Amino acid sequence: MFVLFRHLAGVRRAAGLRRGAPLSAAIRHVDAGSCNGCEHELGACLGPMYDLQRFGLAISASPRHADILLVTGPVTTRMRPALLAAYQAMPEPRLVAALGDCALGCGLLGDPSEVAGPLEEILPVAVRIPGCPPTPEDIARCLLDGLDGTLQTATPGA
Amino acid sequence: MTAVPITEAVAVDGWRWHDRVAGLLDDGLRFVSLSGTPDGDVRCVLADPERTVVLTTAPAGGRVASIIDIVGAAGWDEREIHDRTGIGFEGHEPLRPLLRHPSATSDWTTPVAGADVHDVAVGPTHAGIIESGHFRFHVVGERILLLDPQLFYKHRGLEAAAAGASPELALRLAQRACAACAVTNTVAVAQAIEDARGAMPDAELRRARTLLLELERLYNHVNDIGAVCAGIGFAMGNMAFAELKERAQRLNATLTGHRFLFGTVAVGTSELEIDAAAAAGARTTVAGIGADAAALWADVHRNRTARTRFRGAGTLAHADALALGACGPAGRASGIDDDARVASPRLWYDGFAAARPEAPTGDVAARIGLRVLEIVACCAIIDDLVSAPITPGRVRGGNVDVGTGVGVVESPRGRTAAIVDVHAGTITGMHLRTGSYANWPALAAACTGAILPDFPLINKSFELCYACVDR
Repeated sequence: MFVLFRHLAGVRRAAGLRRGAPLSAAIRHVDAGSCNGCEHELGACLGPMYDLQRFGLAISASPRHADILLVTGPVTTRMRPALLAAYQAMPEPRLVAALGDCALGCGLLGDPSEVAGPLEEILPVAVRIPGCPPTPEDIARCLLDGLDGTLQTATPGA
Repeated sequence: MTAVPITEAVAVDGWRWHDRVAGLLDDGLRFVSLSGTPDGDVRCVLADPERTVVLTTAPAGGRVASIIDIVGAAGWDEREIHDRTGIGFEGHEPLRPLLRHPSATSDWTTPVAGADVHDVAVGPTHAGIIESGHFRFHVVGERILLLDPQLFYKHRGLEAAAAGASPELALRLAQRACAACAVTNTVAVAQAIEDARGAMPDAELRRARTLLLELERLYNHVNDIGAVCAGIGFAMGNMAFAELKERAQRLNATLTGHRFLFGTVAVGTSELEIDAAAAAGARTTVAGIGADAAALWADVHRNRTARTRFRGAGTLAHADALALGACGPAGRASGIDDDARVASPRLWYDGFAAARPEAPTGDVAARIGLRVLEIVACCAIIDDLVSAPITPGRVRGGNVDVGTGVGVVESPRGRTAAIVDVHAGTITGMHLRTGSYANWPALAAACTGAILPDFPLINKSFELCYACVDR
């Protein structure tokens, strides 16, 4: 694995990522009907070139361990129940983030009878990440900026 | 210059439907798609390199003869048509729902019985950053007897929205179907519209679209190798190929302004321009990605654990691949010698030959090994295309007002076909049958006999989209 190790060390040096202000938040991702573009870019955020984990943000495998529900897609009628189940399974306090133009209700969405969204009409959205799809930089910046402000105002007694 | 392919439309009486399809298959044509028409009929598209035949039949008493005994690949298509239109298929029993989601599990799953058989339900939401879809595994212990996938959780009705739309809007809806296959799907729809209008792309347009398709394949294939590494928890392989994908996507943005090449395909025209300086940069980047992919893959492959996990996992037998209509890298890895690029007169693939695996074992190792081979070919095609400047292109001809057209494109996952009805400048019907749609039944078959913990690995070795199945 020497080639892999040397390659990744080189990538890390070249990317020159700084350590960020440490947060600690677990994100639960739910695809509510996206084209998979937002998923690709969210995945890139966790890769060696962006490394969102260095800010203390991590993807959670279960909504029960999550602080943030990160939703992509226009919310299809078929995904609405699963989305609500994920939200209801989360402990409080919890935040909802809308990732991408579809979730924000400004994309090209298809047949109205198949779409239950936008997300805003279903769940209280605290963080908005526009773009089609947003680039990994956009996702990282919006999440960090949005959470920074939101966490300060949302935390009781802070 | 290759001759313009001919699309023939043939109306068939219901009682001859099955025999006509069988006759065309005997003549060497292959199944392309089966779908409903805007008029409530059923149509089957078959093609060989010289001609495309669109057979249409009107259901008699709401029923049409099933063709699944001669075209196993049409199983999902018949189930989807039934869910959309209520048309029944004589001889397809039970005709289980596909697009419709019944409340009782027994209404859509395969009945399985026996000692210690139980179900494991997964999804529609998953534990990572994954598209939504539901899987019902019938297992004994950890051994998978059968997998029933239930997709269409992401069904957005994009085809319904395209009915009555302008060609430009229909193309945007097709692009919205799937980000990872955006170029494939839009080129297929653009080709179908141009075919319906009787237009043929000029050399510039063919070169531009071919370049975009290969750029799409490059970032998808390196992504898929990384995903397979993730499937065995091999983080270093996953991260190294994630970096290659990032480089490929940044090249996309440099050349076209979009990391997923959105907005680059239009009906009848291409505005893409790449000058000598940009082309030189692209050649350097692509050569670097190709060289690093080979070196990094060799290092992944040196790892005994990785090799052991890949070998023999999720085997898709040649006979099953053939019967289910598997295509793309998944089909080729099982010895199906088929690639739509071989006969693509509307694109720039002169002299192209499909990649052949060293051994078509049909397992995860074969599917991933085939992508490694295809990355080499993909880099060579891109290098060749940008060795001359890419300039704007357009179509020749195209004065037909009413018609039905077919477009077929090889996506990173297999054959993608678009069938479009055009009436006086409006799209009256659009149907996309993507490479992912074609391969989902094969993925389910490959899971039979595997162990449940290998499913993520097997799934990633196909790396099928949910979005462009659900549409």
